[in-house]
Amino acid sequence: MSQPRNSYAVGTGLFIVLGFAALVYLATQTTSVANTHQGASYIVDTHFANIGQLKERAPVKIAGVRVGQVQSITLAPGAEVADVKLAIDKNYDKIPLDSVATIFTSGLLGDQYVGIVYGTSKKTVAEGGTLALTKPAEQLEDMLGKFFGAGGMADNLGGTYTVTATFSNVGTLSAGAAVKMAGVPIGSVQSVVADPVKLDAKVTLAIDNRYNQIPDDSSAAVFTSGLIGSQFVAIQPGGSPDALKNGDEMVLTQSAMQLEDLIGKFLVNGSSSTDKKDAGNGKPGDKSSDTPSPTTPAGKQ
Amino acid sequence: MSTRPVPTRNALTGALAQVGGCGLFLLTLLAAIPRSFRYVRETLRQLWFVGAMSLTIIMVCGLFVGMVLMLQLYHVLSIFGGTSASGMVVALSVYRELGPVVTALLFAGRAGTSITAEIGLMRATDQIDAMEMMAVDPIAYVGTPRFLAGLIAMPLLCCVFCAMSVLGGHLVGVTWLGIDNGTFWSNMTAVVDLRTDIVNGVLLKSLAFGAVVTLIAVYQGFTTPPTSEGVAYATTRTVVASSIAILALDFVLTAFLM
Repeated sequence: MSQPRNSYAVGTGLFIVLGFAALVYLATQTTSVANTHQGASYIVDTHFANIGQLKERAPVKIAGVRVGQVQSITLAPGAEVADVKLAIDKNYDKIPLDSVATIFTSGLLGDQYVGIVYGTSKKTVAEGGTLALTKPAEQLEDMLGKFFGAGGMADNLGGTYTVTATFSNVGTLSAGAAVKMAGVPIGSVQSVVADPVKLDAKVTLAIDNRYNQIPDDSSAAVFTSGLIGSQFVAIQPGGSPDALKNGDEMVLTQSAMQLEDLIGKFLVNGSSSTDKKDAGNGKPGDKSSDTPSPTTPAGKQ
Repeated sequence: MSTRPVPTRNALTGALAQVGGCGLFLLTLLAAIPRSFRYVRETLRQLWFVGAMSLTIIMVCGLFVGMVLMLQLYHVLSIFGGTSASGMVVALSVYRELGPVVTALLFAGRAGTSITAEIGLMRATDQIDAMEMMAVDPIAYVGTPRFLAGLIAMPLLCCVFCAMSVLGGHLVGVTWLGIDNGTFWSNMTAVVDLRTDIVNGVLLKSLAFGAVVTLIAVYQGFTTPPTSEGVAYATTRTVVASSIAILALDFVLTAFLM
């Protein structure tokens, strides 16, 4: 308390400077701002059928090296593909026009990023140009489904434009979960109730009115975000000229796949629940079951 | 004027009277801000006292919190093979919770108690009354400068605390436990968000905590019973009340900001 005047003024000044220096340090060095080194960059358009869990500001990489970031992700009303704008560093302006933009996942559970694999064209993509060749994010369920031949499973259902869909199994889908098309959220699950007569799950989907041009033969599937993420309803557009309207019926659904089921099938030959699904498609799962596992995952279910 | 000691009744009405008196006192403090502008030097001196003088304890504690957090996380995350995420978890937990809360608790112990004891002693030795006799507004001269100083100092101290924690985590994680330096930073920068973590977490929370702690400290000081026992009692109460207020407010703020 008895310090001479100037010493506390200097001390206070130092304290304020140190505090703000710490704030600047936190804000610039440890946050995602550190990634937005918005130097000179140019915008390239891409269209993905499915962006998975790709987020804005996700990295864009060439040969694994970061060259830019995802500027924006939008889904135009009525469109089936997500419009992804990539901001790429001006230093990398020699990207061939026939390069392929692919959505990769870092590791099994990591974040997703856009990888650009070079083509052979002499022409390079310019500011505002479009990379026409893209590969969408792989959904784990899609891959597992293809692998186990259960991808085409469909149940009957009815619905309205708060569309109700009937699934034989919704997994852990709950009210409030996202409804996505091409990986972009377009609505949410309004309610999940069990049908007392048909003994299946009746899911009410509230879809944004902007997306009123979804073909009426589109299918709804319950997917999981990543390996352990939350579940959501994915709408896969069909080819019908007529759009889903309030009161229309969706006819195709694909129920949630239980990881335990799939792994169980993979490890043990012929659990009873496989019969139905194997009937619909090839049986790649059978090859792997030549080597019986010492454990019996079926017991876990 | 709400600077008179609150007579103690039974426990419930006593506590309610404390809360109500505190709320009214906040209005008095805020109303005195224009009048306290002429005592800017006093505010600066208080900023030096509650802020700059608290730097040592904040920096050392921040460093150790970061170090111990990293040590614990490393051992848990190594079970899942996820040690590369430990830097990110240290940053997130410090920014969102530990930084503001621990800084506020330390601030209550370091600065809040001395504010209460100082004002309480002023009250006990009739200095407050003397000021009123000399037509110096004790709220504007003694109360508001301390309140403003606490309000300014807390976010800055919290930033220093968080920066030291990250450095402590880096020290243990990278130089001792052998996490890759690039992985440490890139995982952190990929997840920490400027708005939700730094602005909402660090700045907003610490601002609220700073206001609450200094309000309680100044209020307890002004309402100290004018005895030496009363000063001791008021100082204790500052720590107890601020700790409870910080943790309760933390829950409320987290629920709203998340």
